[in-house]
Amino acid sequence: MYRLTAFKQSACKFDKGFIMDYLTSLLPFMLEGTAITLKLFFLTLIMMLPFGVVLALGRLSKLKPLSVTTQFYIWVFRGTPLLLQLLFIYFGLGIIGINIDRFTAAVVAFVLNYTAYLAEVYRSGIQSIDLGQFEAADVLGLSRWQTLSRIILPQMVKRVLPPISNEVINLIKDTSLVYAIGITELLRVAKIAAVRDMLFVPFIAAAIFYLVMTAVIQQTFKWLEYRYAYYR
Amino acid sequence: MKKRLALILVLCFSLTLLITGCGSKTDTPKDTGTQTPTATDKSFQTIKDKGYFTLGLDDAFPPMGFREEGTNEIVGFDIDLAKEAAARMGVEVKFQPVIWDTIIEELNGGNIDVIWNGCTINPKRQAQIAFTKPYIADKQIIVVKKGSTLADKKALVGKKVGIQAASSAIEAVEKDTATFKSLGELVQFDNNVDALLDLKSGRIDAVVVDEVVGRYYLAKHAEDYQVLTENFGEEDFGVGVRKSDVTFLNELQKALDAMKADGTSAKVSQKWFGEDILK
Repeated sequence: MYRLTAFKQSACKFDKGFIMDYLTSLLPFMLEGTAITLKLFFLTLIMMLPFGVVLALGRLSKLKPLSVTTQFYIWVFRGTPLLLQLLFIYFGLGIIGINIDRFTAAVVAFVLNYTAYLAEVYRSGIQSIDLGQFEAADVLGLSRWQTLSRIILPQMVKRVLPPISNEVINLIKDTSLVYAIGITELLRVAKIAAVRDMLFVPFIAAAIFYLVMTAVIQQTFKWLEYRYAYYR
Repeated sequence: MKKRLALILVLCFSLTLLITGCGSKTDTPKDTGTQTPTATDKSFQTIKDKGYFTLGLDDAFPPMGFREEGTNEIVGFDIDLAKEAAARMGVEVKFQPVIWDTIIEELNGGNIDVIWNGCTINPKRQAQIAFTKPYIADKQIIVVKKGSTLADKKALVGKKVGIQAASSAIEAVEKDTATFKSLGELVQFDNNVDALLDLKSGRIDAVVVDEVVGRYYLAKHAEDYQVLTENFGEEDFGVGVRKSDVTFLNELQKALDAMKADGTSAKVSQKWFGEDILK
């Protein structure tokens, strides 16, 4: 029926040389996608780490309204899929006239979501510290803020490093969700190529990219745990 | 003391980032055409002033619009038509990759100005957006594995049929009530390639797909698939715009008509399909 002359030249053969050439031709675009992935990753990371502490402290606050509000927040953002939150923030807010650009929407959704998880991680860290230390600090005449910043939080950081590395590794993989609001990150680049060429190879390439990134994260946390292992 | 200061600084810094991040929400330019409907429709003027319109597409949708191997440029049949039409309207065209499932929200939300991506005109979509006149006639073909014994729609009784989610193929199949009810299962995929790959591995028995799209893949893998003579009916492709953008739609239609009249569109069709399939 259709002669499809335009496509004939792209018909593919399967041999090693072809796959290597193919991957080489794909590489620059995979790197572009990785740049987007990393940008989202780092922006979320630098915001979620401090915000999580604030939220955890709010959650532990003796002020009832504050602690109830934070619990509600955590319930909402841990209790709904991140993908749904992305769609809400990008399309949902768009419907009521708040137009955010794609990337900002992605960052906002990721920070809101991950902060909720981190708050609970931090809380577990804070609560794991013996009550006696709070009492001792009180006896020594330290203020609440001093107790927290000098005694509790430094110890908390050491204890929560392993669960935080979990969240950070999850974060780099979750960035692939932003395809849903039209952002071309690493996995989307692979998908576009896979769909165009009917090949599975781009997905294997993407897997390798993710593995390299998670390897770096793992090593970083290993180093951090080593560095924070004093008094042990 | 220093540590505390550092902590406070970090907090302030992050907070500023968030606030400025949010601040840009309101700064995003909005198409005035979307806010003031018909009576004072300035949609074409707005686009002229901007100097471009934004074309939304699923950039994994060959041959209508996709990323060219090697350059990653967006190319395709629809893309060539859009560039030509834009030139005739005296503006540029910018491309915004979006996800097919949400393309209508993208249009009505003002993120894109046209849907030009092999979009089938059907009543459900017409309720939400306006279309140009049809520019291609397409049909929903049935693809089976090479050597399959399935010969027609009747043979699909109790079979698993793959289809792209949110595509007009689903409606075409549903319209054929008798066949639709006899199917074993309608398996919905993210895209046509996933469906075709699943067909190749034998986990589904047939795939229903747009002819223009299906033929693109079949040309690449002729050894794996065959097409049944029966199909699920013809349908038309149109370019979608917001209902409020009447003047823009009229200008676009004028450009399309002129391209058809002087044979430019036919040339584009020749390039991509090897023949003139224009409506």
